[in-house]
Amino acid sequence: MTTMGLALPWEARISSQEQERGSRVELGENPGSGLAPTSGEVRSDDLELAAACQAGEMRGYERLYSLHGKRMKSIARNLLGSTADAEDAVQETFLKVQRSIGTFRAQSSFVTWTFRILINTCYDARRSRMRKKEVTSEGTEESPLPERRAPGAHPSLKLALQRAMEKLTDHQRHVFLLYEVEGFRHSEIAGMLEITETASKNTLFQAKKNLRTMLEPPRSQSAEAR
Amino acid sequence: MNDMNVNCADRERIFMDGSAAEWAALEAHAATCAECGEELRVWKSMSTAAGELRQEWETHHLWTRIERGLTEQMSEKPSRLRAWLNSIGSVSVQWQMAAALLALVVVTGVAWKILHTGPNPTTEVFLKNSAVSEVERAEADYQKAIDKLDAEAKPQLEAAATPLMASYREKLLVLDNAIDELRAEAGQNPANAHLRHQLLAMYEEKQETLQEILEMKR
Repeated sequence: MTTMGLALPWEARISSQEQERGSRVELGENPGSGLAPTSGEVRSDDLELAAACQAGEMRGYERLYSLHGKRMKSIARNLLGSTADAEDAVQETFLKVQRSIGTFRAQSSFVTWTFRILINTCYDARRSRMRKKEVTSEGTEESPLPERRAPGAHPSLKLALQRAMEKLTDHQRHVFLLYEVEGFRHSEIAGMLEITETASKNTLFQAKKNLRTMLEPPRSQSAEAR
Repeated sequence: MNDMNVNCADRERIFMDGSAAEWAALEAHAATCAECGEELRVWKSMSTAAGELRQEWETHHLWTRIERGLTEQMSEKPSRLRAWLNSIGSVSVQWQMAAALLALVVVTGVAWKILHTGPNPTTEVFLKNSAVSEVERAEADYQKAIDKLDAEAKPQLEAAATPLMASYREKLLVLDNAIDELRAEAGQNPANAHLRHQLLAMYEEKQETLQEILEMKR
């Protein structure tokens, strides 16, 4: 149809109202996600939660779970690829939070700090899994992720994007996941990954550029290939 | 409605960090520019698709598991110095220094005791050759893992000048000396299970210490 042959597997699934998401602009005033201490109320809730956990009160941890457990599971699931591993990582994160709560100095939001621990836990789990894979598949070539496919060959849009995300660097994957999938703001991502907001924006841009090339070659490249 | 003028050259900059007004201007430009229209469509569609990756599922048992784990962990006797080292972060510098000194004395004492109290001949156990090889392999793996942690914690250890960090540095120094001596002894007497056990305990202590230092960073 077009010069690109509509290689995008998701094209048909985008409704006009959904397209707003692509141009999400951060105005720094949306308290929706509740992580960055943008208002006194949010900050005070965060400190209260931290204090309860620091005091070893189970209700503090329970509240942390009820407020952020779903998002934690989703992040872990997308980083680790399996529900069971994700749940293990969330559990491990809570145990690490409890073990290290004495070192929390309230320089960042407590919830951001918790998510940072979660991401590090997932990162460690991924690395350890990859090391194990290396040992078990010694000498045998790990089958590479499928390269760019013809339109329609993707079993599903989600799978195509998940596969492409696997090829991003860890850092790019984390930023893309946190921003585009989980809806965090760059200020929050900066706190979680200990980077600047500008670095978060740049990394997201690079990640999307790479994904775009993997999933659908830009018009010029596509024309050259023909 | 939109007075801002953007052209194709502005597209990537707006994708990276455009304001709401710039996005609106780009949309307007894209209506008459096929290339920008296509790029904008693809860019947005990636975000839409990414949103579909967010996953939610109910796990009624997970909180129960976490709660059980937390309860067990809280009721455990704090592992060696962990709880104490964690807690001294909130007290005064003088107390931190006193605590650091005490930590040093305790660790040195423990290491000295381990090194200078010979194994009890009646309980000494000797490993078989195959077991020795297995233990040596495990120790090598341990050492490799600890080296990695060591490298990760090094910048933090070197950069910070707090009494707490100083006590960690001293503790690691003592542990390294103890490990070196035990390894030398184990080298002379590889089948001595008692020595191996002590060496493993030292490795564990070092690993935990390095993990604590790294966790402080998180």
